[in-house]
Amino acid sequence: MMATPVPVDVTQVGENKMLLSLGPQHPSTHGVLQVLTEIEGETITKADPEIGYLHTGIEKSAENLFWHQASTVIERMDYLSPLTNAMCYVLGVEKLLGVTDLIPERAQQLRVLLCELSRIASHCVWLGTGGIDLGAISPFFYAFDLRENILDLFEASGGARMHPNYLRIGGLREDVPQGFLDRLDDLIKKFPGRVRELRGVLQKNPIVQDRMIDVAILAPEEALEWGITGPSLRGSGIAYDVRKAFPYSGYEKYEFEVPVRSEGDAYARFLVRLDEMDESMNIIRQVREQLVTGSVMIDDTKVGPPPKEAIALSMEALIHHFKYVSEGFRVPPGDVYQAVEGPRGELAYYIVSNGENRPWRVRTRPPSFYNLQVLKKLAIGELIADMVVCIGSLDPVFGEVDR
Amino acid sequence: MPSPQTPPRGGSAVDPTAIRPDIDDALIIRVEPAQLRGRLEQLKADGASMLLDVGAVDYLERSPRFDVVYHLLSLPTRAANLRAVGRPERTRVLCGIDDGQTLPTVSDLWPSADWAEREVYDLFGITFDGHPDLRRIQMPNDWTGYPLRKDYPLRGPALEKTPRPEFALKSNLLAGTPASGKTAEALAKQIAKIRGQA
Repeated sequence: MMATPVPVDVTQVGENKMLLSLGPQHPSTHGVLQVLTEIEGETITKADPEIGYLHTGIEKSAENLFWHQASTVIERMDYLSPLTNAMCYVLGVEKLLGVTDLIPERAQQLRVLLCELSRIASHCVWLGTGGIDLGAISPFFYAFDLRENILDLFEASGGARMHPNYLRIGGLREDVPQGFLDRLDDLIKKFPGRVRELRGVLQKNPIVQDRMIDVAILAPEEALEWGITGPSLRGSGIAYDVRKAFPYSGYEKYEFEVPVRSEGDAYARFLVRLDEMDESMNIIRQVREQLVTGSVMIDDTKVGPPPKEAIALSMEALIHHFKYVSEGFRVPPGDVYQAVEGPRGELAYYIVSNGENRPWRVRTRPPSFYNLQVLKKLAIGELIADMVVCIGSLDPVFGEVDR
Repeated sequence: MPSPQTPPRGGSAVDPTAIRPDIDDALIIRVEPAQLRGRLEQLKADGASMLLDVGAVDYLERSPRFDVVYHLLSLPTRAANLRAVGRPERTRVLCGIDDGQTLPTVSDLWPSADWAEREVYDLFGITFDGHPDLRRIQMPNDWTGYPLRKDYPLRGPALEKTPRPEFALKSNLLAGTPASGKTAEALAKQIAKIRGQA
């Protein structure tokens, strides 16, 4: 999206009104967001978010890649929790293939584990940058230190810190390496203390409370009609969580609470996210206890690549591997809407296959896109200084908004 | 409008959406453009409080060419616990339209449709009648063409028009790529071989 030019003489739009362009390079906009703001004194009377600065045509790219290659670009949408994107996509494709029930138990458990880890990592970024928006620098370091531990686990399991492409159609690329579970145990052990630190510096902080309580209030009716999902919806008192309403990948086996607050202000959304971090760790602990042994890839070489050891020994495996790499696999025609609970809300893919080895269409339902849209409504009547609180409390990720 | 560089793939005349409705947990409804608005109003009155998504699919050779897909979710307004939410009903409304036809907007029913319809307009060129602010959202305002259409090329003309730099046509080896370790020797041999031939 090209920057909308704002000549100097039109910044004065009314007798007492002024047009202020916030962003797209403002550090508090959490990415490349421009908000054309009309202010009267210090009060916002109109806010028009301009997006599209980060549009990279991921949906178009995905249509031109093999089914198993598309997940690499899809992971780059929500770059703060790439595994959640991959999770949603592979679940959708598995549904189209009709192999959902054939995915090994261990793979499903590890997927849940990694997705919950990325939820914590993503909330850490939100917490750290949200603190910076309010002028609190140190929580950023506490939060990023915790996130670092999680990224180390991603690196150990998938080989990359940000976009490991570890979740594959049919399971996982490979089993977690030796020592992974020990490091996970360490994290589980020190996590409560870390969250206590974070809560200590932010939750009871009078400045944080002053800035957040009764700011950017979102009524439940509004939240529904604006399509808000995730922590922002639950901060407005509606206990909708895809993990509970439409369980996937074995979420129904784990016991966890869905934090809900009824106030609907920025502080409520803040508390919901903090509580969610604890609940995610609760799930991780249960997965760790229940983790079974066994294969992590579906036993169907048409869908997943054969094991590396087999390639060296079996001619068939070699052929399957060659076919998998050179022309992918075909997915029966059909369409599916697969949703998962991402850190920002209901992340979903509407996938259409026409029976070829490439997806015909991968339509994303990006939670940030819809959550950010409500800024038009949310910011009105707030002070200009609270604009950053409004944006921060919605937790948008622009890789996902613009795709 | 950029010239098509990658020809569209075949098999697009198939409509996959009606083949296996049972794999999804949504109620699937297909409507004609004329009935769309009325049907969505009725669904909203019946409790579909949230419009999750508006997307489009280009089937290229099929008639009608596009499907506009609405995903609805029925959530109660007062639902402070999980039991009150339960398993909300998902509804998918598909509406096939041809190039040049328009659809009525639903942004007055659900404000969330505002940006979603703008995006469908931006990337597919489908117009929504009555939309308050129908302009491009992802692409620049002065863009021509609709990128997510199947006849829109994957690569733009800019790449095609830019002349390739001279050095890219030649082998890296002749340009004297710095090499290290064991490969350095092998490379040196190769370079000597190529130069010897030239």
